[in-house]
Amino acid sequence: MSSAGPTPPGKPQVKALHCPGCGASLTVRSFGNAVTIVCENCRSILDAKDPNLQILQRFKAATGEYRPLIPLGTRGKIRSTDYEVIGFERRTIYVDGVPYSWHEYVLFNPYKGFRYLTEYNGHWNDVSILKALPDVQTDASPPTVKYLGETYKHFQTAKAETSFVLGEFPWQVRVGESVEVSDYVSPPRVLSSEATGDEVTWSMGEYMSGKDIWTTFRLSGTAPEPVGVYENQPSPMSADTRKIWVAFAAFLLVLVVMMIGFDMLARNEQAFSGSYKFDSRDHADASFVTDDFELKGHTSNVEVDTSTDLNNRWIYLNYALINEETGQAFDFGREVSYYHGYDSDGSWSEGGQNDSVAVPSVPPGRYYLRLEPEGDPQYGVTYYSVTVKRDVPQYSFYGLALLALLAPAILLTWRTLNFEHLRWAESDHPPIKLGSSDDD
Amino acid sequence: MIRNLYLIYGGVVLLGLSAAQYRGWSLATINEVKNVPRSVRDNPGSYRSIYSSFHHYTGGK
Repeated sequence: MSSAGPTPPGKPQVKALHCPGCGASLTVRSFGNAVTIVCENCRSILDAKDPNLQILQRFKAATGEYRPLIPLGTRGKIRSTDYEVIGFERRTIYVDGVPYSWHEYVLFNPYKGFRYLTEYNGHWNDVSILKALPDVQTDASPPTVKYLGETYKHFQTAKAETSFVLGEFPWQVRVGESVEVSDYVSPPRVLSSEATGDEVTWSMGEYMSGKDIWTTFRLSGTAPEPVGVYENQPSPMSADTRKIWVAFAAFLLVLVVMMIGFDMLARNEQAFSGSYKFDSRDHADASFVTDDFELKGHTSNVEVDTSTDLNNRWIYLNYALINEETGQAFDFGREVSYYHGYDSDGSWSEGGQNDSVAVPSVPPGRYYLRLEPEGDPQYGVTYYSVTVKRDVPQYSFYGLALLALLAPAILLTWRTLNFEHLRWAESDHPPIKLGSSDDD
Repeated sequence: MIRNLYLIYGGVVLLGLSAAQYRGWSLATINEVKNVPRSVRDNPGSYRSIYSSFHHYTGGK
């Protein structure tokens, strides 16, 4: 794209002219600011600066006719200024022999001059020509461009060929002409340079949704859905991701404060302790009950700890924590086993001599334990002790809460990274593909 | 929008955690039994735990 400043208009008017190629009437909308006009009837490119409208080129679209999504002559307000669509072109680049085409619309306002819209697969950009040169840093990898304090990363450089034109253009447009286009991105903006010979034109584009374009130009129907991720398309999640990690940090702080608070407030009080001997060779009923004990405070947990002298054997304890007054019982079984040895892999061990379990939500009151140990008859005597503690902090819930808080943040971060991965996969600097090798 | 949803979600998680800590919730498998007869105190063998006669581990490596 290239442009000159507009000639200040006199009284706005539409000038009727005729194409010297086919005689069809031409509508000139840019009040003498256009450099070339394309006849909509015979596709002759005419010199708009020549009073006789000399034919500069006649072209036949190589791959067919293209109808602009925004018809020429349509008006809409962009950044509080009314613009009219006066030109349309299709441009194509080839990457590894594969053609990628996009469309550009020339917009004109008699006071503000020219502006452009680009469209690729449903992704739109509002483009204007830069008035100052950006600072290109070619030694960086990827190369960057600085403009108005913002850094843009190089995305792609390719030869773009004009393959179809329609309407008016503020430069000498030709079908088949090619320029080297380099894009530098900092979503939602993109800086583009177009180089032809020694001349370089810089423009800045800002991403727009198709819905906004349809609203701006009051177009009928709905905008085509965007396909894929575009080079300067803003990530819909990146801002949220940052905010969620900030919120996560705050939650983590609250979690730590809660842990310290509940730890300090917990009774963590021993209510009962007893030591016992179990002879598995004795065939008599091994069940017995303990003395009763008081569980104080509000409804809370009770931790039952079992310590044994097991050595390459197991013991199973049927426990029942029974409320003496209400008859409510908490019934559970605990297996304690400890094995160790030495083999070709070295020493090994399995299990442990101690066990701990938290009985949930036990109301206050007087309780006793009913125990029934079981063991292999050939083991003989096992010594064990049982300790009952009231209101003991359970750290596993903090771990679960941490995971629950972490999961959405990780999920959102993954989606953001995936979005960026898709963006850069289409660039000259694709992300490293996992699992790829030099042999590929 | 997503942040607000996350704030609500995180608040619910922390409230749940507070309830779990205060009420003494546990991840252990415990069977609650109502109306255990007082006679168990004098005759412990009359109580039948649902966990008795479980298959016990007999092994080691």
